Amino acid sequence: MGNIAYDFQIEKDDFERAGEASSKIKKILRQLGIDSGIIRRVAIAAYEVEINLVIHSLGGTISISIDPKSIMIIAKDIGPGIENVELAMKEGYSTASDKIREMGFGAGMGLPNMKKCADSFYIESIIGKGTIITMKMMLKDGE
Amino acid sequence: MGEEYKHSVILKEDRCIGCTSCLKVCPTEAIRVREGKAKIIPERCIDCGECIKICPNHAKSAITDDLSMIKKFKYTIAIPSLTIYGQFPSNISICEMLNAIKKIGFDEVVEDTVGADISIHLIKEYLLKKSDMNLPLINSSCPAVIRLIQMRFPDLIPNIIDIETPLEITARIAKKEASRRENIKIEDIGVFFITPCTARVTSIRKPIGISKSYVDGAFSMKEIYGEIVRNLGDCNSSNMGTSTKESLYWPIAGGQAAALGIENYLAVDGIHDVIRVLEEVELGKLEDVDFIECSACSGGCVGGPLVIQNSFIAKNRIMKYARKMKETKHTIEELDSFIKMYESGLIRLTEKIEPKSVMTLDKDIVKSIQKMELVTEILKSLPGLDCGVCGSPTCRAFAEDIVKGENCKAVCIVKTMNGFKNKNK
Repeated sequence: MGNIAYDFQIEKDDFERAGEASSKIKKILRQLGIDSGIIRRVAIAAYEVEINLVIHSLGGTISISIDPKSIMIIAKDIGPGIENVELAMKEGYSTASDKIREMGFGAGMGLPNMKKCADSFYIESIIGKGTIITMKMMLKDGE
Repeated sequence: MGEEYKHSVILKEDRCIGCTSCLKVCPTEAIRVREGKAKIIPERCIDCGECIKICPNHAKSAITDDLSMIKKFKYTIAIPSLTIYGQFPSNISICEMLNAIKKIGFDEVVEDTVGADISIHLIKEYLLKKSDMNLPLINSSCPAVIRLIQMRFPDLIPNIIDIETPLEITARIAKKEASRRENIKIEDIGVFFITPCTARVTSIRKPIGISKSYVDGAFSMKEIYGEIVRNLGDCNSSNMGTSTKESLYWPIAGGQAAALGIENYLAVDGIHDVIRVLEEVELGKLEDVDFIECSACSGGCVGGPLVIQNSFIAKNRIMKYARKMKETKHTIEELDSFIKMYESGLIRLTEKIEPKSVMTLDKDIVKSIQKMELVTEILKSLPGLDCGVCGSPTCRAFAEDIVKGENCKAVCIVKTMNGFKNKNK
């Protein structure tokens, strides 16, 4: 079945453009006629992962692939990797600096929020190499 | 939908020179220039009036009703928009303006403040205190914003406060009271709005959230202004003014939040800024805010497409009147009667506000994906300048129009020229 895919490059510390990728993703999904509840979940997950890449990573790529049954988001960065993934998944846990927290980011809800929005969520991280987050949202129930 | 959706924003074709000014400002990409003239795509137009404001040739206009319409009714009531108080020098009293409007040929003039006041107190003392509301609440008073939400932010429909607009509340109360007092049937009473707003005109013809409007017609403030000016100059009859301080704030950006006495709010004016903020709401980033006041027009309703004065002057004048007024206090009994009106559905949005998916490429997702691939492919060969010369607002819209089969003849001038240059190298 036909699918369509897009890649977005995300730069470290690029707060100026932070949110642009998820905004573009949202528009694309709207035009494809995806259910608005799912669009919202994808948009929130994509936004969280985008902000995470800007704040915590050394840069990376968000890829989204849409087919008539599901949406897949893969975020891949080039480091530094998460020391303790289990801890990072806890609500409220954050390694963000005070400065970043003052800006309203780094509340420790990024990863838990992504997990909540996705039907399946998978994270793999290797120190010194990078992190890969894979999220899938199903478009039709029971299929 | 489509044809039956009666818009107020229209194009005067003879005045249109096919420039691209309106293409660029339309928040829903509802305009194309085809064969040298602007065309409005009816499904997409939210009647915000941005194109009317920007058009250098005054080719964009609004269809409002003709004054002769008042002859159809036995008894007529005019409800002037609150913005009218900002259209005259401050030495003219509100009473004088209302008298001048009455002299046009109405039996009665009722101030919109009646509904605004009820709305303000109901939201403040009742709705904001309920625990099951979807925060942030979004005001229901701007019809262009409501249509924008239906189209671009359908997930935020539950956040819209389900209370009727001040105009509808005023119209209902005025009709009922006149019917009782004058002993005439409701059908024989005509209520007419003197409007600064194109989107409101559309909402009278095709309401959102209610099945039928209590307003029977709308006269453009611009068109009726001359008549009012000529009638000014006497204020002998009794004072009809019922304005309250809070209700006078209503048509000014930030005025609703000020009237409601809310601290934790955002007041957003101008349709493009409204879009920016609603994007944030959609991402769940503003759930800690109680209320978002959105108005499509810069400056609030005083910045409407059919007003005479610019919004800054109008605001200054209205604030002068407001400062002279005392704050209103309603008794518990009065408040209870407002709540009853709301709970019984009389002044409530009782019909579901439906999402409108006009942005989609195809109803079928498989076809949608195929079309999107094609759009992406075409986009690669376009210059990305978004110049609008092809008649579509952006290169992306150009590609979409081709894929949708709506744009067979248009060409990209920039691409053609580049091709020509390369050939001659």
